[in-house]
Amino acid sequence: MFMKQTVADLASFGGASLFEEIRSTSNLVRPDIEKFLGYSKIFFDQHRYTNDGPLVKLLEQRLAAFHGARHCISFCNGFWALVLTMKCLALPGKMEVVMPSLTYRRMADLAAWAGLTPHYCEVDVGSLAISPEHAAACINSNTALLLGVHPIVNTCDVQGLEELSARSGVPLLFDSVESNYESYRGKKIGGFGRAECFSMHASKLINGFEAGYVTTDDEELAAKLARMRGFGFFGQDNVEVLGMNAKLNEVHAAMALAGLDDLLDQVNRNRVRYRAYQDALADIAGIRLLQFDETEQTSFKTIVIELLPDWKLSRAATLKLLHAEKILARPYYSPALHQKTTSYATIFDALPITEALAERFMLMPCGHFVTEDDVRQTATLMRFLDAHAGEIKSRMP
Amino acid sequence: MSTHKQSAQDFAILGGAPMWTNPTHVGQLYFPSWERYEEAMRGIFERQYYTNHGPLAQEFEAKLADFFQVKHVIAVTNATLALMMAVKALGLKGRVIVPSFTFIASAQSLTLSGVTPVFCDADPLTYQMSLAHVEKLLEEEPDISAILGVNLWGGSCNPKALDELGARHGVDVYYDSAHAFGCTIDGAPIGHFGRMEIFSFHATKVFSTTEGGCITTNDDTLAAQLRNIRSSYGAGPIVDVPLTSNGRFSEAQAAIGLLNLETFDQAITNNKDSFSLYRSRLRDIPGIALIEPQGVDQSNWQYLVCHIDDAKFGMPRDVLLSVLKAENINARRYFYPGIHRSIPYVHDFPQYIDALPESDKLCASLIQLPIGVLVSAEKIESICGLIADAQRHAVSIVKGMKAAP
Repeated sequence: MFMKQTVADLASFGGASLFEEIRSTSNLVRPDIEKFLGYSKIFFDQHRYTNDGPLVKLLEQRLAAFHGARHCISFCNGFWALVLTMKCLALPGKMEVVMPSLTYRRMADLAAWAGLTPHYCEVDVGSLAISPEHAAACINSNTALLLGVHPIVNTCDVQGLEELSARSGVPLLFDSVESNYESYRGKKIGGFGRAECFSMHASKLINGFEAGYVTTDDEELAAKLARMRGFGFFGQDNVEVLGMNAKLNEVHAAMALAGLDDLLDQVNRNRVRYRAYQDALADIAGIRLLQFDETEQTSFKTIVIELLPDWKLSRAATLKLLHAEKILARPYYSPALHQKTTSYATIFDALPITEALAERFMLMPCGHFVTEDDVRQTATLMRFLDAHAGEIKSRMP
Repeated sequence: MSTHKQSAQDFAILGGAPMWTNPTHVGQLYFPSWERYEEAMRGIFERQYYTNHGPLAQEFEAKLADFFQVKHVIAVTNATLALMMAVKALGLKGRVIVPSFTFIASAQSLTLSGVTPVFCDADPLTYQMSLAHVEKLLEEEPDISAILGVNLWGGSCNPKALDELGARHGVDVYYDSAHAFGCTIDGAPIGHFGRMEIFSFHATKVFSTTEGGCITTNDDTLAAQLRNIRSSYGAGPIVDVPLTSNGRFSEAQAAIGLLNLETFDQAITNNKDSFSLYRSRLRDIPGIALIEPQGVDQSNWQYLVCHIDDAKFGMPRDVLLSVLKAENINARRYFYPGIHRSIPYVHDFPQYIDALPESDKLCASLIQLPIGVLVSAEKIESICGLIADAQRHAVSIVKGMKAAP
């Protein structure tokens, strides 16, 4: 129950925090333990703990079918799935990967591990996703790869990017880490571009502890990736390609399988949470909840809000106030990648849209630990901050 | 030791019944009991802490730091990633010396991290990397920034001497100790040599977290950098690193590691007994010589590697492998081919092809036999009996194989 009467009751000013335990933006969904143990028993009985074990094979079959893709290759995590796929798809002899700057904070490091130079492009104001038009302007004779990154809510302009790829001859790879469940124009994400990469980190839609996978219809690419994740081996004593160890172990595969079994239920739970946010934030003029496109299949997983001009507190101040209340809201992809210094070269022109957007959005608590009541209390707190914005500002250092 | 192989025709490779219906693989495969596994996993589900340097990962690192008697242990997704992180933490550039006679991941970790491997040969007596050749390379080759020493097979490459060599030449030394978990030198665990050491917890190793590995170091700055390169969320201060990655170690991996650590002494004892049994049963077979762990005062006895003298044994090494395989013993060449003869190095660095004769000899003459939790004393007796029979009937087996269509 929301107990704050005056500004002094805010945790930032000495009051009790709204929540006792942290409410985070991590999904941390817990699959059914019995299902997890049931899968575990399979590898346990066969003494197969890794190296293309029975559960990794089953998981790859299930995920390929789920996405409607011909092949799925699992990895130890999404990071190395992306690095290896980027290495495979980059045009030989070319160096630049065109990617949005308003994206995952390690994306540039990923490109660097793949031996490529990030070339940052703008995002679209409406979707917050890579803009095919701006991406086109970044493509030059040294472009090796186009990285279509789906935003946190809904999808990017898949058709626009596929057309750009076809027109320019630059291979298109999708980072679909935030879009396991989504569809684009009725077709499941996972079947677009040359390949799509996904994460099953505990904070993602499917919790595989740490895990990742790639979907593709390209048989040759699938075979190459499967070799690269296992030191390049094809059969015993035969290395066919420069590889590493990026294998998924069987315990993590068991977890991901149990998560996959729970997926429909989870999406229903996510929808309930999202509806609570829709309802509870509707009357706050300074806040816009990013709406999931319900004409498509969507996971309702992550809650993103925009702070509009009517919101009188800065985002930094708002975050600070929320953190004190144990609401671990987070800035949306901020700072943007081009605003950070790196030990390697990056390429970009002025990115005013990205810079403006990087200041405006925040992720709100969601996932397994967040109840409908938590959502209502969080919204009440936002309303309280809104109503007392002037006094709060005067009291903040 | 009778295997019912009375004549060459009784061997499966010539049409006889295989001794076993299911294959036996090399690999240690120690794993907690189902009850302990289930209990640990239920604990994780109760805590709902799955990864990102969770409570079990922290406990695991602390316990391993005690085990290794080092200041810092950084648990990582797997040992190859740990080796790649090492290159970035050390800020290596240019070229790094690495043996050609080792598992290919040692060299791959360099190439994938943007440095160039320089291959050194093996020592004909110890089979470990040749420190004499390392010294020669340090004197002759330009642009060497580090030495990646490798401690093979539960033995060592003499890291004390290699550290001194590196210091004399002003280059960093660090170690791929993937095989060396639990081995000691002068009474102290391997783990404190060089700038850092990397261990593997792959399921085939004596100490398993299914996949996994760790880095050990006494260097505070290096440890902080490694934790940031790994991406650790809350594991120490943010420090400047050239590149981050994801090398995180999950709570599930940590849980299995903690359980296996409790029973690690039993694993060592079991391995040691198995090794001794192999030693006594292979001793009198002509042409096969068990390789004893070198350069350690205690081994983990996790690799059973033998040298085959084709002439004395009566059949080439690869024929023996086929004979064993047909009986469902998946013995392996270890290592084969040498890294310098593998893709991409065979194309990228043709200068090494005939420059590493000792590596080539070892690649052509060694076999690895199964040892580990799934290989009982009875099975070892049978495997050794089979090898003895194969040797006894070697000439007829070879003749029979040649005659076969």
